[in-house]
Amino acid sequence: MTFRAKLFWVFTFALLLSVGMIAAGVTVVTRRAFEDLNQQHSDALVQQFQREFERRGQEIVHRVQGIADAEPTVRMAIDLNRPKSDVSIYVNDARGVSKAHQLDILDFAGNDGSIISSAEWPARFGYKLGWVTQPEDWPARGAFLMKAETPEGPTLALVSVATVRVGDNNVFVAGGQRLGREFLASLVLPQGMRALLYLNLDPNFQPTNLLDANGSANDAERFAPIVQREQQQPGEQTASINWTSDPATAENFHALPLEGRQKELLGVLLVGNSQREVAVLENRIIWLALAVVGLGLLIGSLLSWWGAARVTRPVRELAEGAHKVAGGNWNAHVNVHGGGEIGQLGRAFNQMTQQLIEQRERLVQSERVAAWREVARRLAHELKNPLFPLQTTVENLQRAKEQSTDQFEEVFRESTGILLSEIENMKAITTRFSDFAKMPQPELGPVNLNEVVRSAIKLFEAQFGAVGRPPITPELHLEENLPTIQADPALLHRALENLILNAMDAMPAGGVLMLRTAHANGDVQLEISDTGTGLTPEECDRLFTPYYTTKQHGTGLGLAIVQSVVSDHGGRITVESETGVGTSFHIDLPNHPPRREPSIPITFEKEKAKEGA
Amino acid sequence: MSRRLAAISATLIFLVCAARVGTARRPRYGGVLRIEIAATVKSLDAGAAVASPAEADGRDQLNALVLDRRAGDGMPPLIAPFKMAEWEPGKHATLVANDDASGGRPFVASVQVEMGRTARDRTLDLELGKADLAEIPVEQARQAADRGVRVSLSQPDELLALVFPAGRAATEDARVREALAAAIDRASIVNFILQKNGEAAGGLLPQWSSGTAFLFPTAADPDRAKELWTQIASAPKLTLRYDSGDPLEQSVAERIVVNAREAGISVTAQALQAGAPAAGVDGLLMRLRMPSPAPRAALVNFLSVLGPVANIDASPLPDPATPQDIYDRERAAISSGRVAPLVWLPQAYGLSARVRNWKAPGPGETWPLADVWLDIPPSPESEKEKQ
Repeated sequence: MTFRAKLFWVFTFALLLSVGMIAAGVTVVTRRAFEDLNQQHSDALVQQFQREFERRGQEIVHRVQGIADAEPTVRMAIDLNRPKSDVSIYVNDARGVSKAHQLDILDFAGNDGSIISSAEWPARFGYKLGWVTQPEDWPARGAFLMKAETPEGPTLALVSVATVRVGDNNVFVAGGQRLGREFLASLVLPQGMRALLYLNLDPNFQPTNLLDANGSANDAERFAPIVQREQQQPGEQTASINWTSDPATAENFHALPLEGRQKELLGVLLVGNSQREVAVLENRIIWLALAVVGLGLLIGSLLSWWGAARVTRPVRELAEGAHKVAGGNWNAHVNVHGGGEIGQLGRAFNQMTQQLIEQRERLVQSERVAAWREVARRLAHELKNPLFPLQTTVENLQRAKEQSTDQFEEVFRESTGILLSEIENMKAITTRFSDFAKMPQPELGPVNLNEVVRSAIKLFEAQFGAVGRPPITPELHLEENLPTIQADPALLHRALENLILNAMDAMPAGGVLMLRTAHANGDVQLEISDTGTGLTPEECDRLFTPYYTTKQHGTGLGLAIVQSVVSDHGGRITVESETGVGTSFHIDLPNHPPRREPSIPITFEKEKAKEGA
Repeated sequence: MSRRLAAISATLIFLVCAARVGTARRPRYGGVLRIEIAATVKSLDAGAAVASPAEADGRDQLNALVLDRRAGDGMPPLIAPFKMAEWEPGKHATLVANDDASGGRPFVASVQVEMGRTARDRTLDLELGKADLAEIPVEQARQAADRGVRVSLSQPDELLALVFPAGRAATEDARVREALAAAIDRASIVNFILQKNGEAAGGLLPQWSSGTAFLFPTAADPDRAKELWTQIASAPKLTLRYDSGDPLEQSVAERIVVNAREAGISVTAQALQAGAPAAGVDGLLMRLRMPSPAPRAALVNFLSVLGPVANIDASPLPDPATPQDIYDRERAAISSGRVAPLVWLPQAYGLSARVRNWKAPGPGETWPLADVWLDIPPSPESEKEKQ
């Protein structure tokens, strides 16, 4: 991934993260605000309910007291106080009075609690309304919730009791209003809120007992857990109901227990807050955030592309320059932009390449000097050997001439023979130097390396098993499907001869000479291993240096020639050796040698050779 | 002396008073008798279909006033006391006195009958003096009397009974029927709902007719009801039907529900239109009007009605039947538990202050309008006739 792409993604990620965090923060804050608002609404509605409850209670107290104080009721009480009074004439009174006073519940009960007349259940006359006779300060009690019996079954009512005392007897007037749909409909609800009332008339949850302003509530079963919690532990509680998978349909409910005179749970008021507005707002925030992210991505991508281009261009140039340097082109130069860190880096890069070039030139110069010194040393060494006999022979000739004329002829013959021999020797030396200097450029053609190996081995077969010499066993491991390569077979043959000769010299006590060919990735590989005396690491380092030799009579040019041939073919040669175990040469030759550049990269081996020099 | 003076004074006072009373009670001719009834009589044809027993009763009453009757073989027909002057089916009828009536000309000159009047309207019209004679629901008779309406009650001749239709699994167990019957507090129904205008019923015939009604207990026995109900392994939920157009039946049904509930019996009252099929109903309230004061005839009539519904023996009684025969059959019907008599209801009529010589008709009797006269100021014509 490019630096520009990375910068783009970092910018995008940062944008996404920041927008996401802002959106999440706004959502959380909004939700909390709505929750607070909903809580305030719920509290307000609960307070409204309580106020309405209290107001209705006071109204009912007032009405019931009005009924008790009315003349017909007092007359009834007086009548009932008479011996053998006939209460049957009052059996239908409650119905009319309740209608007149807009009460759903109205019972007239005698001193023993027997119902004289009942509005909500006229047929209950004569039966006891036991609770009204319990010791209670009814005026102080005010209105309270109770479970009232009706023909349709029990219902929840807000009732009040008043007494009419005549003589020693009381007439109880118990009246009230049902707490149900009408009561809920009278509550003023803010938008998105609703109130439900559960009539706790059965031990178990009954869906039909859950009412809203329109009657029985829909999906009442969903409220069962809330109601059951209230039944188990009455108290203000909250719960949420998700009507569908759409969060906008969720509602938060605030449950308020409604208790009766004995603190028994008679009902549960449920104030519901719709979460639609919150969900819609959250949805809008999310969409807005997505739009901002999308727009930000668009703008960000353009900005980051432009910014990254400005920022990365010098870096890219630096990278390209570094790549050129790694490829051997030390003349790479980058344009310096500005004076910042990137500019400083560019200047440092240019300075570094300049120093590299200078160092290389110095290195080449010193290498050249060293090579000349080595050549001079070797030349002096080579020439010194024949010069000394020449000098001695000439001095012998002079001495023989002066001292013994008789033997001069004989000395002359011998001396001239020696002189000729040494001159030949010097000529050979110069020839070798000349040959090395005149290493030809390879003439490329299709070559099968296996054939070159077999040809070279065949040349030395006689020497491997020569009499008076410990035998050397050649082992060939040649890959049959070795591809042909573009190479000069004569040069390869010559290099191979030098390596085989080297190996034979390294195995004076005989051994195994193993030659292995293989190929990989289009390159052909050749390995030549011996089981000879091996080399020290220092020797390995200087092995390919021209005129360096570990042998007594070597010229030090054999491996230099090998290295030169391999290098001319675009290949590389390495050596592995262990003292007392043997030495292995590894040659990699490309299928097609690259065109020779004017400036030949310094290979590792040459570097080694330079270091050795 | 003083005793003699006192005796003379008393004699004079008696004579004066007797003369005044005699003058007030003397029947007068003329006047329009305004009658309001609940029924809507659509046809006077005896063979025409009727929507309710009340319509049939109204039709019979009108026909009895305007149709001549056969007196017997060889005897001239009995001329009806009135003639139909106006007839607007279902709404209004005007009858005028028939001078040729067999029993003599009726006292009132004409009778106007308004049909289809509600109980409230009838009572109000009576109170306002817009009607002279009207049927009043018996449960409202006392209240009407308290408001100044003259009320005339007949003998209790209509039986309100709880009947258990045959074929209902819920009531096949006799203990279910007995428990419900024992739970019903008839006295409360009479005292509170009927405002003491009625009698608790234990048998199928009233005491005044059979003389054996006292042998059938009427007291509620809630303990017995509870005991029986607890014996029933799977106590059913019972449905009790009443006529949706009959407030009295509704009140009685609701009271039965309360009584049953106190005994632990689950009963639901259900309003259905009169004549609707009783399918799916475990008990139904029925009104049985005595067709005759004769106990045999009444019992035969009742059994003929109850038999098909409750699978009660409706075979004919011997004619003439002895009181023992009647009692035995009545006892058998009650013992079956298929019918639980509740109360005997009288017929209640409201009268205006000017109506005289009205006598509430008994079972099988018609309105005695030919004998009714109105206490109205004499007209000039009648004064001339008198002179």
